[in-house]
Amino acid sequence: MAKVVLASALSRWLPGSSDKPTGEVAFEVAGTSVGEVLDGVFALHPNLRGYVVDEHGAVRHHVALFVDGDAIRDKRTLTQPLCKHAEVYVMQALSGG
Amino acid sequence: MSDQVLVSTRKGLFVLERGDGAWRIARTSFLGHNIALALADPRDGNWYAALDLGHFGAKLQRSTDQGRTWLECAVPAYGEGDEVVTGDGNPPQPAALKLIWSLEAGGATEPGRMWAGTIPGGLFHSDDHGASWELVRGLWDRPERQGWFGGGYDMPGIHSVCVDPRDSRCVRVAVSTGGVWRSDDGCDTWAQTAHGMFATYMPEEKKFEPNAQDVHRIVQCRAAPDAFWAQHHNGVFRSTTGGGDWKEVANVLPSVFGFGVAVHPRDPETAWFVPATKDEKRIPVGGMVVVARTRDGGKSFDVLRDGLPQQDAYDLVYRHALAIDASGDRLAFGSTTGGLWITENQGDHWQELPARLPPVHAVTFANA
Repeated sequence: MAKVVLASALSRWLPGSSDKPTGEVAFEVAGTSVGEVLDGVFALHPNLRGYVVDEHGAVRHHVALFVDGDAIRDKRTLTQPLCKHAEVYVMQALSGG
Repeated sequence: MSDQVLVSTRKGLFVLERGDGAWRIARTSFLGHNIALALADPRDGNWYAALDLGHFGAKLQRSTDQGRTWLECAVPAYGEGDEVVTGDGNPPQPAALKLIWSLEAGGATEPGRMWAGTIPGGLFHSDDHGASWELVRGLWDRPERQGWFGGGYDMPGIHSVCVDPRDSRCVRVAVSTGGVWRSDDGCDTWAQTAHGMFATYMPEEKKFEPNAQDVHRIVQCRAAPDAFWAQHHNGVFRSTTGGGDWKEVANVLPSVFGFGVAVHPRDPETAWFVPATKDEKRIPVGGMVVVARTRDGGKSFDVLRDGLPQQDAYDLVYRHALAIDASGDRLAFGSTTGGLWITENQGDHWQELPARLPPVHAVTFANA
């Protein structure tokens, strides 16, 4: 199982969380690639998909994915393989005012 | 007469209510988040809020209890292979939703029908209160779309959708930049109708090209639906023939530049504008916030300033930030520096909201 961690900026948009302060949220999901484990999380929270990827399945420009501490390099295909107990960290780019 | 105003700002949705003759903030939603615009559907009382979350994309939420609770809806989505091709020489790009730039209710005979104009230029409709959306291919597939380009944004967008109150199949939209388009058959076929407008910023040979017109906003008179007003990038135009054959209205005081326009719901001769110093500056003329009002179809204008800042004011009013209620007596507008003013007598006197709001993107009345 891989562990997928959503930064608080994302977890606040899970149903029922809107406008409430939330912290990181973690999920244990099966999968052997970045795309597979993300699909596992999206199956649990369908509305989350549109926050992380656009309508073509590419990770949004201002969303960053880290696998065991390293940013993924291909934000479109998401085929990057994962080791057995990988941690995928989903965070927002830091910008704005 | 509406006693409720929804103010969409850079930092949340503010609900204003009138009590004892004064307007106050009754409650907020999505505090801290960027709200592009909101809509109170007059048919069923549903409220919609279009969020522009930047990092996480454009979102849409619906409330059935006047903003006390919200439920996330679907957003318009482009298909694989849809491309944004623009007329400004930039390379084609895959189409993906950037912003919900207009949101309107369908006709009275179409419960649940919603319209959304988007950046990068797609018009969408929903028949289930926003639970699902479909791209209007009849407009998207027009070859002229490849001549559109971005106005204030990198990509073109549809900011105005007018559903004819006589016939819901008759829809006009305005594009920045791409002129005015009309469908009479429920959006299967479309025609460009910006004829008569001219663009002083274009090369001479393109100046009168309808598809090159940077229309900032169009509005339609509810009781006289052949009457339209347009605030354009370099002037004000008027149509009395259903959104075509546009005539310039050159004498708007103190300037013809601006974004917002409102028309009286029963009197097509009466309209309001919030003029600014043109184009490269986009600040009030002389540091004074004023509203221009015509009651005679544009032959003459009153400059309304009672209750508005008349010194050192640098407020700009965006295209969706001037609103009128169904009575035609109450108007409200909000500015980029967080000013919010409401009139209850068609602009003769304005009441300033005692608040320092975030930058205002859009203003609309509810319970009209």
